[in-house]
Amino acid sequence: MIISLNAIKQIYKQTGAADFLPDDINKVAEKVGAQLGEIEEIIDLGKKYEGIVAAKVISCEKHPGADRLKLCTIDIGGNSTVVKGDKDGLVQVVCGAPNVRVGMLAAWIPPGATVPATYDKEPLVLEAREIRGVKSYGMLASAHELGLSDDHDGILEIDKEAKPGDLFAKLYKLDDFIIDIENKMFTHRPDCFGLLGIARELAGIYHKSFVSPEWYAEKAQSSKLKTQSDELPLEVVNEIPELVPRFCMATVSDVKVATSPVWLQAALSKAGIKAVNNIVDLTNFYMYYTGQPLHAYDYDKVAKLSGKNAQIKVRKAKQGEKLKLLNGKEITAENGDIMIATDKVPVGIGGVIGGADTEVDASTKNIILECANFDSYTIRRTSMHHGIFTEAVTRFTKGQSPHQNLAVLTKVVGDTVTFTGGKISGTTFDLKGRLTGNKTIETSPEFINSRLGLKLTSEQISSILKNVEFIVDSSKDELEITAPFWRTDIEIPEDIVEEVGRLYGYDHLPLNLPKKTMTASVVSDELRLKQELRGKLAALGANEVLNYSFVRSELLENAGQDKNDSYKIKNALSPDLQYYRQALTPSLLEKVHPNIKAGFSNFALFELGKVHINNKTTGGLPDEFGRLSLVTASKSKRVAAFYTAKKYLVELLAGLDVDESELSFEPLGTKKDASTTYYEPGRAANIKLNNEPIGYIGEYTKKAASGLKLPEFCAGFEIELATLLNLNAVASSYKPLSRYPSISLDITLQTDSSTSFAEVKNALVESIESSAPEDLSVKIESLDVFSKDSNHKNTSFRIVATSYQRTLTTDTLNIILDKASDHLNKTIKASRV
Amino acid sequence: MALDKKIVESLVARAEKGDRTVLRSNELKALFDEIKTLPPDEKAAYGQEFNAFKAKLESILDNLAASPSNLKPIDVTAPWDVNTVEADRPKTLRAEDGSTHPLMIETQELIDIFARMGFSALESRQIDDDWNMFTSLNFPEGHPARDDYDTFIVEEKDKHGKNLIAPAHTSTMQNRVLKANKHLLARGEPIAYVIPGRVFRNEDVDATHDHTFYQLEGLYVGKDVNTGHLIATLKTFLEEYYGQKLKAKTQPFYFPFTEPSFEFAIEKPKALKKSANNTEEWLEILGCGMIHPNVLKAAGIDPAIYTGFAWGGGIDRLVMLKHGIEDIRHFHSGKLNFLRQFE
Repeated sequence: MIISLNAIKQIYKQTGAADFLPDDINKVAEKVGAQLGEIEEIIDLGKKYEGIVAAKVISCEKHPGADRLKLCTIDIGGNSTVVKGDKDGLVQVVCGAPNVRVGMLAAWIPPGATVPATYDKEPLVLEAREIRGVKSYGMLASAHELGLSDDHDGILEIDKEAKPGDLFAKLYKLDDFIIDIENKMFTHRPDCFGLLGIARELAGIYHKSFVSPEWYAEKAQSSKLKTQSDELPLEVVNEIPELVPRFCMATVSDVKVATSPVWLQAALSKAGIKAVNNIVDLTNFYMYYTGQPLHAYDYDKVAKLSGKNAQIKVRKAKQGEKLKLLNGKEITAENGDIMIATDKVPVGIGGVIGGADTEVDASTKNIILECANFDSYTIRRTSMHHGIFTEAVTRFTKGQSPHQNLAVLTKVVGDTVTFTGGKISGTTFDLKGRLTGNKTIETSPEFINSRLGLKLTSEQISSILKNVEFIVDSSKDELEITAPFWRTDIEIPEDIVEEVGRLYGYDHLPLNLPKKTMTASVVSDELRLKQELRGKLAALGANEVLNYSFVRSELLENAGQDKNDSYKIKNALSPDLQYYRQALTPSLLEKVHPNIKAGFSNFALFELGKVHINNKTTGGLPDEFGRLSLVTASKSKRVAAFYTAKKYLVELLAGLDVDESELSFEPLGTKKDASTTYYEPGRAANIKLNNEPIGYIGEYTKKAASGLKLPEFCAGFEIELATLLNLNAVASSYKPLSRYPSISLDITLQTDSSTSFAEVKNALVESIESSAPEDLSVKIESLDVFSKDSNHKNTSFRIVATSYQRTLTTDTLNIILDKASDHLNKTIKASRV
Repeated sequence: MALDKKIVESLVARAEKGDRTVLRSNELKALFDEIKTLPPDEKAAYGQEFNAFKAKLESILDNLAASPSNLKPIDVTAPWDVNTVEADRPKTLRAEDGSTHPLMIETQELIDIFARMGFSALESRQIDDDWNMFTSLNFPEGHPARDDYDTFIVEEKDKHGKNLIAPAHTSTMQNRVLKANKHLLARGEPIAYVIPGRVFRNEDVDATHDHTFYQLEGLYVGKDVNTGHLIATLKTFLEEYYGQKLKAKTQPFYFPFTEPSFEFAIEKPKALKKSANNTEEWLEILGCGMIHPNVLKAAGIDPAIYTGFAWGGGIDRLVMLKHGIEDIRHFHSGKLNFLRQFE
C-alpha cells in the first residue's frame, strides 16, 4: 500500500485531528515499521519535481525555422538559479504544443532539472539548447511529462490561483513523502488499503484519537440520494446475494467527461494510478481513499446492450461466454465467475475488471456508478484463473466491509455531480443479501495482560481501542468490545490482544524468559543418528552432499526405476523437478562425473536424506524412508570398487559398535526393486545386520554407468536408517586384561574356488570355538585370499589366542588348529596348507 | 535425399560405446530438421528413414545395456578381491578430505543451542497433506493467504481426496508436534520443540533463491506464555548464536497461524560486519508470533488455558551470511571444491 504523507495530513485537517506527525520522515518510518508493517520504500517526491515552477506565457509567436513550433517568452517570476532571462527576466522557450497561448500559466522544467516522467527510469535531464537556430531554455511540460497521466496532446495548464515562479510541487502538494508498506502485512486488513484506514491507524499508534469523516460513519449508511432529474430507466437484479452480499448503483445524467483537475491527477499519480478522465478518476480516488473499489459504466452503452430497458443483472457466468475487457484482453468466462451483465450480454467481471463495451469515454453523457461487495474467495479464484490482477482485486480479496458501500457511493455520486455538472437520476439501488454486523467480544484486562505480559488498566485499554473507533464498554469487570464495521478481521479476544499490543507498542513489552522445568529435552533418535553418521563419514574422508528431493524422469530411467513408483509434482516449473526420488544413490551418482571433470580423482560422496515410494503409506500419508547413501569413485583405480564401498560400510558401522561378525553380505539375486535396479548382479550384495536386511551395496549396471558417465571404479551402498535406530544398545564388551601373553599363529586353508570367503571364515570360527578350551579367548584376522588356478583358492588367517589361566605355547594352539582343520575338511572340504 | 552418412556413422559409433546422449544430440536433431527443407514429395520417405535410424540407435543402446556384463562376478563376502596385493587393498580416504555439509553443520548448531535452552528436536516431513500444511494452521480452503506460498502440489492424493503437498514451511509439523506432546501440558510442563527440515517453493532459481531450502521451526506452549516471552526467547537464542548482546526489533506481520505475528530483526552482529554483500543495518532473521487459538484448538489444546508462541527462519541465509557465500545454488551443486571448504 502506497501512502502519501500529505494526503494523511490532509485527512487530519478535514477530520479535525491535530497534526501530530513529526516532521522527520525517518521517525515516522521507524514508527510505521515497528507498529504497522514493513516499509519497502520511502520516496522523497519533492526531489522528482525539484526546480519546476509556474510560468506565465508572455509572448507566443511562430518559430522562424519550423511551422509546427512556437517561440515563447515566459515569466518565471525570477525563480531560477540557472537561467537569468532577458532584461525583463523573461525566458525564451520553444514549444510544440497546440494549446500554448499568451496568458496561460504552465509548468516550466528548467535546464538542469529532470523530466518527472523519466525520474525513476532513465532520467532525462534538460539543458539549454538550440532548436532550429533558436535557443530554448528548458520546456513547458505536458501532464505526461510531469508523470501525472498519459495525456501529451498539449501542455498542462495550471488550473489554480498561482503566480509565476511558484513551485509546481507546492501548488499541487507534490512536495510529499511516499511510504510504501508491504501489502502482505495487510492480508487481513481491508481498511488499510485506503488512506482513511492508514490515517486512523497512524493516529492509533501515536496514541491520538481519530474520528472518521461523518459521511463515512455508520449513521450515513442509510442515507438516500435525492433524484434531481428525469429518470434514466434502469432495472437492477442481484441473482447471487450469497456471493454479492451488497450491490449499490446510482445513475447520473448529463455529465461532462473531461480531464480531471490537476490536483486530482497529482493525488492519483502518487498512488501509481494514471489519470483517465474525471469520472474514472473520481472512482479511483475514492477507492484509494476508502479501500472500496467502484466502477462507472456508460449508461447509454448499457441500454443499447440491453433488451427493452437498460438492465444490470448480477449473476454467475455462463460457461464459455466471452467478454472484452477494459485492458484490451478478451476472456472466456468460467462457471464460478461473478458477472455483471445486461439481460443479454456480460458487461464486466464483478469485483475484478469492467468490460470494454461499456467504458466511460469522451462521448459519454450518462453514467451508472457501482459500489458493491463481492465474496473474496470467488474474486481470488477468478483473478488467478484469468491472470487478472487489478487494484480492485487486491482490495476485494482482503474482505472489504459491505457496510461502507452506500456511504461511498453517495459520496462519489455527490462529487461527480459537483465536478461534472451532472444530475442524480432515478432511484439509488441498494440490493442487500444477508449482512451481519461485527459481534461484541467479551474479554478482560487480565486476559489481554496475560497474553502480552503487561499490566494495562481497563482505562488504558479502552483509550487505545477508542482511538481507532472501537466501541468499548468498560463499565463492568469485563470489557465489551465491538470493532467498527470496516474491521472485518476482528473476531476473537486474541484479535483484541493483537490490536492492543500493536497500538501500545511491542517494543515496550517487558522481556522475560519463560519458566523452565527440569525435564530433559529430547533430540529425536533419527537426528542424533544422522549427526553421528555424518561425523564418522567425514572422519573417513567422505564428503556430505545434499541433493534435491525431486529428480527428472531421465535419471529414474538411467537408474532403471519406474516413474510410476514416484510421487509426481503437478506444477513443477522445471522438468528437472517432476518426481520424488525413490532412492538417494542415483542423485549421488549424478554428482560423480562433474567432480571427476573438475579434477578430483578419488573421492567418496554421501548423503543422509529421505526417499518416498508411491503407494507406500501409513495412516493415509506417504511413508518417509530415512536413508544413508555413499558412493566411492576413482578416475584411475582398476581394482573392484565393491570392496572399497564395503570398507566404508564396515568402518562406519564399527563406529556404531557393530562388529564385523554381525554383518553378512549375500549376493544380490535377480529379483529387483526400486532400490536395486541399478546394481550389477554379480558384483552387488544384500547387506544384513544380525540377519536382518539393512540395505544394498555394489557396483553399477552398464546402463547406469553409461547413462551417468561413471568411471570404471565406482561403487556404493544405501542403507535404511531405521534399521540402525533399532540397534540394541550393546552391553559393554569389556574383558578383564589377562596376566599371560597372547600368542599368534597363521593358518592357510585351501578350498574349492567356489567356496566363499564367508563360508571359510565362519566354518573356521565355529570349529575353533567348539574345540578351544574354555579359558581361551581367540581372535581371527583375515590375511590374504590367493588363487593360483581357477579351481582352488587359499585363504589365510591370523589366529591370536589369549588364556586367562596359563602361558600358552605354539603347540597348544597348533593342536587346536589341527583339530579345527580336520573338522573343516569334513564340512567344507578345506585342507590346511 | 538420404541421411547424411558421416553423421550417421559418428552417431552409431557413439551409441556402440553406450553413450545414451546421442538420442538427444544436436546432430540427431539436425538430421531431423533437414526434413523441413525438403520438397513435399520427399518428406515421407525421409521421415521413414529417419525413424528407422533412430530406432536402430535405440536398439544398439538397449542391447548394450541388456548384454551380459564383461565384469566377472566377485565374492561379495570377502574383504577384498582374490590376489589383491597389500597396496591395492581397500582403504578409506584421509580425514582431512572429509567434510559435512555447511547447512547441516549450522542446523546442528541451532539444535544444540535450543537443546541447551530446553527444546526438543524433530525433523520435518518432505511430503505432507493439506490438513497439516494449511488447514490445521488456520488457512481455510481457498484462503488468499495460501497464495503467498508458491507450493509444489503432488499429483497423488491424501485420504480425503486432496492433493498431497511438498511442504513450503516447517510449520507443517506444528499440528502433529502439538498433538503428540499435549500430555506434557497436563503434567504442568511446556511443549518446547524445534523442527529443522527441508522445504520447497515453486520459484525460479537464482543466486539468492532456490526451490529447495531449509528452515528451523520453533514452538513453545504452556500456561501464561506471553508475547514478551516470545521476544525474550528469540533474543536470547540469537545472542547465544552470535556470541554477543544484540539489539532486536519486531515488525508487525501477518501469518494466518499466529496472532499477533511479527518479523523479528536484529542489528547486524559484529561477526558479519565484514561481509561486503550485505549492507543492511538490520537483519530480518525470522517470522514469529503467538500461536493462533484455532491452531491450538485443531490440536486439541484449550486456548483458554494454554498459550504459546512459534517462529520459523531460514537456515540457508544464516549460512550464507556467516561465510559470505555468494550463490545459494552451491548448496545443492555437489561440487567438491565447495564442500571441502567446510569441516
